[in-house]
Amino acid sequence: MVVAPTARRISFREEVENLLHAEEGVSLVRCIQCATCSAVCPAVEFMDHTPRELIALINAGMKDEVMASNTYWTCASCYACSEKCPEGIRPADVMYALTRYSLWKDTFNRDWVAPEFSRRFTRTILRTGKSYEPGYAPAFIFEGGFPGAVREMRMALRLLGKGRLPLIPSRIKRIGNLRAMVARVLPLDGIE
Amino acid sequence: MSERKKVLIVDDDPDFAAGIRAILDTQYDTVVVHNPKDGWEALQKDRYDLLCLDIMMGRGAEGVMMARKIRKDKVLREMPVLIITGLREQIAFLFPGQAVHPGFVPVDELVEKPVEPDLLLQRAGALIAASEARQGR
Repeated sequence: MVVAPTARRISFREEVENLLHAEEGVSLVRCIQCATCSAVCPAVEFMDHTPRELIALINAGMKDEVMASNTYWTCASCYACSEKCPEGIRPADVMYALTRYSLWKDTFNRDWVAPEFSRRFTRTILRTGKSYEPGYAPAFIFEGGFPGAVREMRMALRLLGKGRLPLIPSRIKRIGNLRAMVARVLPLDGIE
Repeated sequence: MSERKKVLIVDDDPDFAAGIRAILDTQYDTVVVHNPKDGWEALQKDRYDLLCLDIMMGRGAEGVMMARKIRKDKVLREMPVLIITGLREQIAFLFPGQAVHPGFVPVDELVEKPVEPDLLLQRAGALIAASEARQGR
């Protein structure tokens, strides 16, 4: 989207579209509120606003409501919404854009699991080049209470039986190269 | 008195951009754009004496990419670049309490948000003066 350099204050919708300017997809004004995105979303039951509502809130300029919503932190990034949208909007990209924005503006809720999980995931990737699921378990296993922990442990045992759960974290070769690439776009000071 | 200098502000946050603009408007002609693509187009169309650049925009640290692109451009590299960023806060999520690496962004000066109006005017003035001295104007 190209905004002429004027003194006009941009709307919240334009603010969000500026976060998407290099992405594919069309402007959010094209949304017809058909709720196909909400219908196909596998995570919608955990969201305080459905994807359709979130787009409506953005188009209405309701920034505070949008920034306080857990919708984009709940997104499972399955991209079903982007595939199915009849207007060519890419709601999953909007979700990612808003997660970035809430990190940059520091508006995300620190009690939510998703931001903390993302932080641990990023650190693990930068240290070893690979995700190591057992490494996340101690921090999150009691999120679902005791029954949840039991469920998780049973799942872990089944995964272990199938050889799908590594017990020892592995590291990719030449991790230094990966770190050098990431360091081109983010300062790595303080990671380790 | 010489003509007013031109400053381009590239920041995706309309509130912050409006704040910076209000401060710089007292001494300079300012133009505000809200994404790096529009910023780059504005730089191609017009000549600016100073660029105030945000770091975290668009898909990530696009301000860094823009600063690097400017440093590779024969004409634009003469223009001083002032980064105004909440980078440390923005990525405190990843790197709590760590200083931003000085060699990370190729710019002349880095000021952290929130910025004091007097400090901003002082830094902007110093950068423009230094750039003019360098170019022998």
